[in-house]
Amino acid sequence: MSSLVGFLSLVFAIGINFYLFLSRYIFKFQKQKFNFFIRFSSLLTLLSFFSLMYAYVVSDFSNYNVFQNSHSNKPLIYKISGTWGNHEGSMLLWLSILSIFSFFFSFTKNIDKSFQRLTLIIQSLLHILFGLFIVFTSNPFLVNSILVNEGLGLNPILQDPGLAVHPPILYGGYVGYSIVFSIAIAGLFQNTDDEWLYVAKKWSLISWTLLTGGIALGSYWAYYELGWGGWWFWDPVENISLMPWIAGLALVHSLMMVRGEQAIKKWIVFLSILCFSLSVFGTFLVRSGILTSVHSFAADASRGIFILLIFFIVTGFGFLVFLLKEPKKSNDLNLLFINKVSALVINNILMIIATLTILLGTIYPIIIEVMYNKRISVGGPYFNATVIPIMIPGFLLMSIAPILSWQTNKIQNSKKYVLGFIILSILVSIQSYFLDFNTWGFVGLLLGFWIILASIIAIFSSYKVKFTIRFIQIINPHIAHIGVGIAIVGITCSSVFQNELDFNLNEGDKFNVNGKIVLFEKIETTNQINFQSLRGKFLFDIEKNQSKEIQAGKNFYPVSKMITSEAGILHQWNKDIYLILGDQKNNEWFVKVLINPFVSFIWLGVIIMIYSGLIAVSRR
Amino acid sequence: MKLNHFYKLSHIIIFSFVFFTFKIFAVENIDERVKKLTLELRCMTCQNQSIYDSDAEFSNDIKKIVKNKLKNGESERDIKKFLVERYGEYILFRPLMNYNNIFLWSFPFILLIIGLFFVLIKSKGNKV
Repeated sequence: MSSLVGFLSLVFAIGINFYLFLSRYIFKFQKQKFNFFIRFSSLLTLLSFFSLMYAYVVSDFSNYNVFQNSHSNKPLIYKISGTWGNHEGSMLLWLSILSIFSFFFSFTKNIDKSFQRLTLIIQSLLHILFGLFIVFTSNPFLVNSILVNEGLGLNPILQDPGLAVHPPILYGGYVGYSIVFSIAIAGLFQNTDDEWLYVAKKWSLISWTLLTGGIALGSYWAYYELGWGGWWFWDPVENISLMPWIAGLALVHSLMMVRGEQAIKKWIVFLSILCFSLSVFGTFLVRSGILTSVHSFAADASRGIFILLIFFIVTGFGFLVFLLKEPKKSNDLNLLFINKVSALVINNILMIIATLTILLGTIYPIIIEVMYNKRISVGGPYFNATVIPIMIPGFLLMSIAPILSWQTNKIQNSKKYVLGFIILSILVSIQSYFLDFNTWGFVGLLLGFWIILASIIAIFSSYKVKFTIRFIQIINPHIAHIGVGIAIVGITCSSVFQNELDFNLNEGDKFNVNGKIVLFEKIETTNQINFQSLRGKFLFDIEKNQSKEIQAGKNFYPVSKMITSEAGILHQWNKDIYLILGDQKNNEWFVKVLINPFVSFIWLGVIIMIYSGLIAVSRR
Repeated sequence: MKLNHFYKLSHIIIFSFVFFTFKIFAVENIDERVKKLTLELRCMTCQNQSIYDSDAEFSNDIKKIVKNKLKNGESERDIKKFLVERYGEYILFRPLMNYNNIFLWSFPFILLIIGLFFVLIKSKGNKV
């Protein structure tokens, strides 16, 4: 029953969007409650989504999708998240988020009404495209042809609280760029004033913040669930999410130029189209099953072709309008050797190069396979050797960029920065002399700390410190950059100075980790609702009274016959003790201990970036 | 007086560089070399995981092979060549820098040069 409601409301919502488009642009009906229809179709799409969720919650196995991807004895949260833990449901989630964005956009005040409608019409065209895609190739409301009492279960690796919320937030970022795309296209068509740039800025900040959160959740999940000790693997799917993220960051920065009346409209429109194109392209690559990854659900060629078609329509349409309706020529750039404009231009160029390099590296194996029928890999070493060096000038620049002036070449208080940099380099040199010297470690630490230090100098020497909201908004760019600096320090330390220890242990053995005695207490097996767990219990630092327990082990999911590893992590502010329980051989357990210094700094840095994103959204 | 400070500073910098070079060229032990090499190899039976990070049987075998070959004094290049002959280029996370991959490796740096030219040309007109 709920499936029927869901399907009908989905189709009806698509119908309304068709009607809006036809009536307005083909038959030219002018009198209609435009916003009412847009909101109504959004609510219908949401109804459709929630009826699918309802089917999951009550384990309605007469729905084929639920039967394929759910099981009645899962905890409630995974029944809910199971809604988007599969291809069909996740596409419906995509469409629902698109509707939510349209819904909220229809409430935006202070913009030209006809401009708003044009934007929403483009949104509803996108709604039609993705809606038809769902109905024809990925319908989540198909009826199960056989009568069953039990479902096949959700991939156990996805049964995790972090991953339950990761897709909606990530999609919020991806799909958020749809509204930026629509705004840019509408801006091209109307080509009147620059008011739309401010609107675009707000929405691109929202999307970027959501995307940041989504990516961070994904990599945090990879950190503790995959049990490989790292949190970023240059996996194709990670790269795909990184591309719109960097392009979106470039967009946010070039929208800053609006403030200095230096906006290059052409470039902004180009980036807006690019961001959404990359999002759709990413969806195509993941969903078509061309890339093998944790994310590829059952692959189906027809879906891939359909999404590829949507990608070509969206990108082709976008760039065609871009070429035909070129924006009016804007002011000449006031590029000096070092002023805010040149810093922003350089930043944009570097980010686009990084995006394109990641794009090439990600699709290069596919190109080679098609051309030479040979399989090759393009992995972490390639990206580390290309993307990171390219970004380094940008990192250097971002330390002082926010205080550069629009018009002149001068840097305020330049002596303080030079002095700060010299002292910092000496400190980092000394540090790296006493620890093992490592080129990347040296560069990373210097850069990270330099960004933090320069931003702090800038805050205290350029502004009067006050505790008002206005002040928080003014120093926000510096805060965001401090977040990046902290993250760079964390990334550098955790990847360069990671330490690994291997042990073969019996229960009751004691072993030494960084001078702290750890006791391997016992192995425990328990039966949970939907899995069996095997846990090794470790007591960290037993010589102190407050020793901490770490549990590392594996879970076995009988429904899908899969084993997942569950790393045991002890978080400390300056390091993570990361324990992986291996296999048992000759009565001894293999235990791998990773000491990851300053991992917490990565998450702290990301949280600061998200915070800055939110503050920037609130700024008018 | 100020110049004096500068000389002192430059001495410190030069000395520290001399120390660093000693540190950099210090002989790496065999385990570190194994780690460095196996981090750039793909575990063929896992999903996008390096041989170093993986504990799969395949990875453990390769680790042993790499270690033995390094002990026998074979160069990293030879070992990679051996592995590519056995398992194909798919095993290398760092694509070979050869004629076929010239585009892959040069692309970012070509873009960088184009970008640099763009900035130089644009800023030429209005230098103060």
